[in-house]
Amino acid sequence: MTQTIVIARYNPEQDEKPHHEAYQVQSDDNTSVLDALQQVQQQDPGLSFRWSCRMAICGSCGVMVNGVPKLGCQTFLRDYPAGLVITPLSNFAVEKDLIVNMEPFLEHLSAIKPWLINTAEGTQPHVQTPKQLAKYQQFANCINCGLCYSACPQFGLNPEFRGPAALALAHRYNLDSRDQGKAQRMPELNAKNGVWTCTFVGFCSEVCPKKVDPAAAINQGKVESAKDMIVSVLKPSGAR
Amino acid sequence: MSSQQNGRRPYLPPFRRDWWLQLRFYRLYMLREATVLPLLFFVGWLIYGLYSLGQGPMQWQHWLEFMAKPWVFVLNLLTLAASLFHAKTFFELFPRVMPLAPPGLMIAGQWLGTVVVAIGLIVLLGGYV
Ligand code: SF4
Ligand code: FES
Repeated sequence: MTQTIVIARYNPEQDEKPHHEAYQVQSDDNTSVLDALQQVQQQDPGLSFRWSCRMAICGSCGVMVNGVPKLGCQTFLRDYPAGLVITPLSNFAVEKDLIVNMEPFLEHLSAIKPWLINTAEGTQPHVQTPKQLAKYQQFANCINCGLCYSACPQFGLNPEFRGPAALALAHRYNLDSRDQGKAQRMPELNAKNGVWTCTFVGFCSEVCPKKVDPAAAINQGKVESAKDMIVSVLKPSGAR
Repeated sequence: MSSQQNGRRPYLPPFRRDWWLQLRFYRLYMLREATVLPLLFFVGWLIYGLYSLGQGPMQWQHWLEFMAKPWVFVLNLLTLAASLFHAKTFFELFPRVMPLAPPGLMIAGQWLGTVVVAIGLIVLLGGYV
């Protein structure tokens, strides 16, 4: 069956700003948005978009479909009988066509130190029980696709906001029994652009392809942040 | 190297002021936030009632008549509906913030608590004891 899809195009060397263009693609029940984009690329090799794994693992194929952030490889034309408008991920600057600059997102990610911080000497493996793993496992499923940032109006309003995935990842490491870096991460969570910027709109969790529920993680982070502040007030000054 | 030199000219669309009108999910979020507005009226009338109570029987009677006015009654009904909607959303969000028990159990528990407290208040303040 032939279906019409509309794609936002932007060529920084020619266009003042992005515009929409319609294309015809062949689709059946198995045609994903990514497949459709590749068909269009056959017609117009200039069309730029990111992809790699085609199986919802690499997190690189994020686009907006009718205004909702989606993974192109996991979204199917059959679910859009009324047609689709494919635009680049919201709240990020467009470099070309469907490619956005993910740099701000990566900066937020690295700011919360998303790695195990452990001062233990030696080469012993860190033992962890299934129960300890279960505490953070859900939050460890993030594939860094950035869809949650496009779903977040607070990030749209204030790009300095650390944002859903980064704060969820901070929470993930803080909950990890092998990690000792919580004291280093808490200042980021407590800061102006940390967890308290979140107003629990919750659309991030709705669009997350990995069911990470970043909104829950951030709001659990608020509980931790509140505890951290109370403790710092009660502690005699100078003690740390 | 500047953006000009390397041919980059990133385009950041302006953030729409009407972002919350764009999706049903956002509209429901705004509705949840807006439930505070009718609550403001309600709190105002409650304070007015306390004040009237202190002023003696005349003023108290006046307040009762005011509360029985149709438009006040309708606004109070709206407040009740808004508060119930807010409670529903809040009760559903709470187990995600503090996962102390299975979500279904926590949601049911919160509603049960609400009903118990409401009945308790009606019995206590309604002069049934
Ligand atoms: S939390 Fe979910 S939506 Fe956000 S980057 Fe990770 S996988 Fe993507
Ligand atoms: S291509 Fe890897 S997530 Fe879609």
